[in-house]
Amino acid sequence: MPKRTDIHSVLIIGAGPIIIGQACEFDYSGTQACKALKEEGFRVILVNSNPATIMTDPEFADRTYLEPITPECVEKIIVREVEELKRIGAKGKLVLLPTLGGQTALNTAMALHRKGILDTYNVEMIGANAQAIERGEDRQIFKDLMLSIGLDVPVSGTAHTLEEARQVAEKIARFPLIIRPAFTLGGTGGGIAYNRDEFEEMIKRGLDLSPVSEVLIEESLLGWKEYEMEVMRDKADNCVIVCSIENFDPMGIHTGDSITVAPIQTLTDKEYQIMRDASFAVIRAVGVETGGSNIQFAVNPETGRMVIIEMNPRVSRSSALASKATGFPIAKIAAKLAVGFLLDEIKNDITRETPASFEPTIDYVVTKVPRFAFEKFPQADPTLNTQMKSVGEAMAIGRTFKESLQKALRSLEIGRYGLGGDGKPWRISDQVYGDRETLPREVITRKLSVPNAERIFFLRHALRAGFSIDEIFSLTKIDRWFLMQIKEIVDFEEELAAIKN
Amino acid sequence: MNPDLLAKAKSLGFSDRQIAHLTGLDEDAIRAARKRMGLLPSFRLVDTCAAEFEAYTPYFYSTYDRGDDEAKPSAKRKVMILGGGPNRIGQGIEFDYCCVHASFALKEDGFETLMVNSNPETVSTDYDTSDKLYFEPLTLEDVLHIYEREQCWGAIAQFGGQTPLNLALGLQRNGVNILGTSPQSIEMAEDRKLFAAMLNKLGIPQPANGVAVNETEALSVARELQYPVLVRPSFVLGGRAMQIVYSDAELSHYMRFAVEASPERPVLVDRFLEDATEVDVDCIADVGRYPDNSEGHIVIGGILEHIEFAGVHSGDAAMVLPPHTLSSRVIETIREYTHAMARELKVVGLMNVQYAVKGEAVYVLEVNPRASRTVPFVSKAIGVPLAKLAAKVMAGKTLKALGFAQEIWPKYWAVKESVFPFNRFHGQDILLSPEMRSTGEVMGLDHDLGIAYAKSQVAAGAPLPMGGRVFLSVSDADKREVAKVAKLFADLGFDLVSTSGTAAVLEKSGLKVQRVFKLTEGRPNAVDLLKNREIQLVINTPSGQTPRADEIKIRTTAVYTNTPIMTTLGGARAAALGIAALKKKGFSVKTLQEYHR
Repeated sequence: MPKRTDIHSVLIIGAGPIIIGQACEFDYSGTQACKALKEEGFRVILVNSNPATIMTDPEFADRTYLEPITPECVEKIIVREVEELKRIGAKGKLVLLPTLGGQTALNTAMALHRKGILDTYNVEMIGANAQAIERGEDRQIFKDLMLSIGLDVPVSGTAHTLEEARQVAEKIARFPLIIRPAFTLGGTGGGIAYNRDEFEEMIKRGLDLSPVSEVLIEESLLGWKEYEMEVMRDKADNCVIVCSIENFDPMGIHTGDSITVAPIQTLTDKEYQIMRDASFAVIRAVGVETGGSNIQFAVNPETGRMVIIEMNPRVSRSSALASKATGFPIAKIAAKLAVGFLLDEIKNDITRETPASFEPTIDYVVTKVPRFAFEKFPQADPTLNTQMKSVGEAMAIGRTFKESLQKALRSLEIGRYGLGGDGKPWRISDQVYGDRETLPREVITRKLSVPNAERIFFLRHALRAGFSIDEIFSLTKIDRWFLMQIKEIVDFEEELAAIKN
Repeated sequence: MNPDLLAKAKSLGFSDRQIAHLTGLDEDAIRAARKRMGLLPSFRLVDTCAAEFEAYTPYFYSTYDRGDDEAKPSAKRKVMILGGGPNRIGQGIEFDYCCVHASFALKEDGFETLMVNSNPETVSTDYDTSDKLYFEPLTLEDVLHIYEREQCWGAIAQFGGQTPLNLALGLQRNGVNILGTSPQSIEMAEDRKLFAAMLNKLGIPQPANGVAVNETEALSVARELQYPVLVRPSFVLGGRAMQIVYSDAELSHYMRFAVEASPERPVLVDRFLEDATEVDVDCIADVGRYPDNSEGHIVIGGILEHIEFAGVHSGDAAMVLPPHTLSSRVIETIREYTHAMARELKVVGLMNVQYAVKGEAVYVLEVNPRASRTVPFVSKAIGVPLAKLAAKVMAGKTLKALGFAQEIWPKYWAVKESVFPFNRFHGQDILLSPEMRSTGEVMGLDHDLGIAYAKSQVAAGAPLPMGGRVFLSVSDADKREVAKVAKLFADLGFDLVSTSGTAAVLEKSGLKVQRVFKLTEGRPNAVDLLKNREIQLVINTPSGQTPRADEIKIRTTAVYTNTPIMTTLGGARAAALGIAALKKKGFSVKTLQEYHR
């Protein structure tokens, strides 16, 4: 199936300003899409209010609207462009590609769809249609769908009022509870409620922040292992896994705030294959016909029970990471799939030989570490939870997890040159400790058990203070394999330090 | 040192800095020792296929699992571009934009471009952007390996923000050819003493200032300058720990808890000019290309006038291009000063200057001979890719040869507004300050200034209300001006709501005001009204150095209820202008290509 010939112009919606949860990864994906579609001879129309992006450079699109991304404004653009197509006597039609501009683009496109504007002007949504977006984004529909294809999901319920929320809480019957407002970005307004007071407060805020006044209340999976799969699918139902990602930090911390590692390190091949099959089943059931999706899993470390957390029927933050981790340009391929190409018809730029239907294989380890900015918000609570708080990230590649972790940590621009041992003192609240000083056990215990931006460094402090792997595991639920790796780094630090003496 | 031990350290990812500290040696010595024993990293390809097929896209990483080096440097003349590293507040996508442009520009000019960056979210780390991509940490050690392995001709360190800038001197000491404005000129602009001497020579005024390396010194400097003073550490971006202080007690607290001052990193103390208007200027120059600095060209890319009064970090302030209130005499003075400084610093490439304008007097606050945060905004506003031109100038071309010799003054308005992450950080006061806290920005473009401002507010996610109630509560200092602003809203059909102090002022000017309780006076109070969505716009300016608890409550409630809030009268005035324009004629959309035509 070659390129569609009924399309003349493609309208791409960007992600707007950089905010936490929606950063420049969408400039990366949008820029790739603009380039790919122009390359294929389409007229590209772009709307994005963010002047700092590359994609809004006038040469990347044929028509660049540096205008607000609201349904009202995009409607004006559609009206103007439909007229323009008539004026120039274009043969093909105008289509809308909403899957490359994050949640902002998806929400705007869905609003235009619901208001009937897309129908009025005969503008087709490509990449993912409205039904698929709804199935992926509406948490209750998604969960029912997963159960219907035999996959497991956390016990949960949705609520539109405080009263409904209380009933769901009673059904689950166990704190803590996870609260996720529907259709919000990076988990805005979500959180973990450990008691009734917190629960009521979070429900109120969540209902308020959700554009459809809906929250999902879930059983807690705190401490479970968390994974992500980046999947792509074409019109002929070919599917590939671009990249598998393991969260170093267990469930309870937003993926954007977790240290993540690619490929998955701690699953057996059998477990990985089960997850791979499930990923394909999910993207098919949701019905994302052409493009990429990101699917999140949780695995109970004791029982091995695997549940599906959520899926994003669009290019996401993890897609950028997966693209950089593997060299597989997800956004570019997604744009080409959206205009009709099949995976086996698209050449891999890197090898120029294999098609995009070849799953990438990697012979190295990639580690991503989030960058926080709590120093700018001294009055705010620095605990990490399901609401994303990091403002950026650094990635590093090495032949082992140890090498890539230390490289990533020295990329963070926080004055650290690795896991520690670089001479920089540690500031903890008002206390300052020397770099190689042994920290008090109670300080370490607190910093391990309550997730925070510096926890990775406290794994070193804990090992140096004589905590056992099991003790650290029970405080953090970080997989023992990762802890063993870190122990190797810490042990070797002592060997090096011994030279000095 | 034992070669096996060193090799093992490297394979476990230890940096030279860590090894140096742990073994009691210094970093240069470790590097020298490694070079002697041939212990250097191998560069491997990211090729999607675990080396199963040949790879054509040069995307590399380094490793100490050695052998099989795949870097294969070409014979072409190579320029390395140093990226900005992870995004953080104060260092965002703007710098990535500049780096990507540098790469495009130099490719056009026939160079082989090498990008070095560690940020996976960016366009600069797309393997398509540069001829070669090195996904590596931006540290002296890692960057030098690549530079030496590839035998680069030069490196651009002025485009990626503070990260590469901090590396520039160290790289230069190790034989790296830093292109563009010399690191010495950059230091002259950063070093208070050298900078003051330069301004003195050029006859350009700056606010009275001094430096301090400890608390006692800071107190004596501040008393001499008189409060309020603006304090900040040297060598940071994004106004980290920058603060306006009004008293000895505040200053002492700041010196003890907010900064780590040292003789190498002194704290800068400036007299703070209250109620001044700030102006940002981005320009491009090729002066350093010529043997005599009276030759060469300087072209101003854009003059941006801040909407908020001085004291708000330029990364957080809303700005208008071209300036909307400055007199032509002030603009001429700004031009003169900018040209004089670019000549004196022998700038080759971009330079950003921040001015404070008080009446007709123009003061220089800061000069940065490097790419600034506003470069992409200005480039899009005027339709000229400044970063691209600058990169070409840095690599050898003149502005004359590039055909950019004339300042562009657009016939439309471009408004920049900032976007903040306060909804993520509960309990944090949202007041704008000299410390930058925004994560992003938007642009509003229109032929009418009011509409351009209104568009910027919509794009920033806080659309201006077309009617309803405005809640006003302002500081004593703002009480002189508040009635004028309130009248603008009353004339637009808004009802005014206020607490006792501000209400009294408004009533005195003959405005009709509904009084509400302060938080401590009873209920329903301002916060209740906000929560009930009975207020559509909040105008709340800070009452002084230490904000009152109830003010913070009002401001944070506005954020959670998504009610637009203006914390300066400048912002409130612009909002009124925007609402008026929208009411009159609504807004239309237009492409950038049409604006630039």
